[in-house]
Formats: sequence, C-alpha cells, structure tokens
Amino acid sequence: MQFKEITFTDSNAQRIYTDYINRVRTTVKVLGKENQQEVLLEINSHIYEGTIANPEGKPEVDQLLDVLEKLGQPELFLKPLVADKQLDEAVKTFHPLKIAKALILNIGNGVSYVVFSLLYLFLFSFLFLIIAKLVNPEKVGLFYHPDHVFILGMYTDANGISYAQYERLGGWFIPLMAISAAVLYILLTVSLRLKRKLSATIRK
Amino acid sequence: MYFLYLCIMNEDFFNKWVSQLKKGTLSFVVLRILSDGREYYGYDLINEVKQKTEIEIAEGTLYPLMNRLKEEQLVASKWVEQGSGIPRKYYTITSSGMKTVQAMTGYWENLNKTINSI
Repeated sequence: MQFKEITFTDSNAQRIYTDYINRVRTTVKVLGKENQQEVLLEINSHIYEGTIANPEGKPEVDQLLDVLEKLGQPELFLKPLVADKQLDEAVKTFHPLKIAKALILNIGNGVSYVVFSLLYLFLFSFLFLIIAKLVNPEKVGLFYHPDHVFILGMYTDANGISYAQYERLGGWFIPLMAISAAVLYILLTVSLRLKRKLSATIRK
Repeated sequence: MYFLYLCIMNEDFFNKWVSQLKKGTLSFVVLRILSDGREYYGYDLINEVKQKTEIEIAEGTLYPLMNRLKEEQLVASKWVEQGSGIPRKYYTITSSGMKTVQAMTGYWENLNKTINSI
C-alpha cells in the first residue's frame, strides 16, 4: 500500500497539509518502516475523508483546519500508539537502545514497566564491575572463604584488611561478568516479551 | 457566603468525572458500534460515535484505541484501495470482540441497575 499525497487547489491548504503530515512523519520516525507507513496512511485517509465531507461548503483551508484541529496534535495523540508499537518492535529485535527508548515511553503505563526499567538499569552494575576490575584489579572480584568472607564486587580496605588471597575468579572475572550481563539481558527481554503476550492473553 | 459555597455544584470535580467516564467507556462504545457487524473506517467510526452518543472525542485518540483493540484481537482490520488513490482501513469486530462486548453490556446493565437502586 503506497502513500499518496492529497492535493489541494489552494496553495495555503497544501502547505498546512504538508506541514501536518511532516509532523506525523517525525512523530512516528522511531518506529520501523512498516509501522511508520501504516500510521501515516491511516492519518492521511482521515484527513482526506474529512476534507471531502464538506457539507457546509467551507473554503478548502477552513475545512482542512477544522479536520486537523479535531484530529489533534500528532505529537500528543500518537504518543500511546507509538509507545505500544515501539515496545513490540524492541522486544522482537533485542535492540538495547530501542528497548531503553520504549521503556521510557511506557514507564507511565504500569508498575511492571518501572520494575523492568530498574532491572535493565541493574545491568550497568556488571559494566561498572568490569571497568572497576580493570582500574583496581586487587580489590575487585569474587572473594570467598567459608565462614569468613563472601564479596562479589569491590571492597575498601579501610581497616587495612586485604582479601586478595581469597579471590576466586582471577582472569575469568571480566568474561564471567560480561556473560552474566548478556544472559540477564536476554532473560529480561524474553520476560518482557512474554509479559506483553501474557497480558494480551489474560485480557482476552 | 459559606452557605452559597456549599450549595454550588463542584463543577471542576464533575467535569473531571465526566471526562474520565467518557475516556473509560470509549472502547465500549466503539465495540458496541462495531457489533452491528458492519465494516467501518476510522473517520466513519468517529462520525458514528458522535451521532450515536454525545461524546465529543479528540478524534486522533481513536487511532491508538483501535491499535490497542487490534492487539487484543477484539477487532480486525484490512486496507481497501479506493478510486481516489487514498486507501481506507476498515475495521470489523472479531468473534472474541463480540463475546467481550456482550459481557461488557451485561456488566454495564448491572451497574446501571445497582446505581439506580441506591
């Protein structure tokens, strides 16, 4: 299905229309091509149907302005639709940036999205530990000794105590943290995907 | 003065309540309209809502709602080419949508009875 621009005889109407359509395009830009096209076609269809239904015989510009005013600002009324579609696209592609953006847009749509956002933020702690290990290899790692010490992360030797001899992972620490982050990321994204599907099934 | 204040309706509260009620019942209204089995495109559906109810909706809000109803598989949609070259997206109610709107209607009638009996 191809997008066809509506043509107006009045050049001012054409300019108003083009400006509005560009605002719609900008609003849906974050979505995949197919979804962008779908929204654009539907809004364009609404504008077309609205402008041809002109029982009072108003001038073209006035009729178009009426239609656009009743439709509302695309940045506002399309927001929930974009948030919904963007989250669906994000969990399908596993794209971290898309997931982050979609979660920010959906944060007001339920506590579960807040929890998911916090869990995704937790992933940064792995990144932090990897960097910390590179900067301070002596005090970062998995320190373990039965009944004595268990630390996964970083410790400060304020009391002059060193746990360096109890470090268990050595050179494996960084790869293990990276793998843990990747596994947690996949698990979170699959759970988010399941949550979306499950909510739809329960509501049915 | 204080007496007068007590007697005046709280218009702000009332308007907020009406607005929430309209917002909350829009999906019900749309499903009720679609339950006649006909196919409707967006603009057409908005006109039906306006004609059959007194709900003045911000027309753009219908589209996110239709997307949600579609995700819930309560409605289905298809694009139909038009002679103008500007296609229409037609919506129809699904069997799940029909059952859901029947349940919603039953609940609405009960609620109405309960409120009237208070």
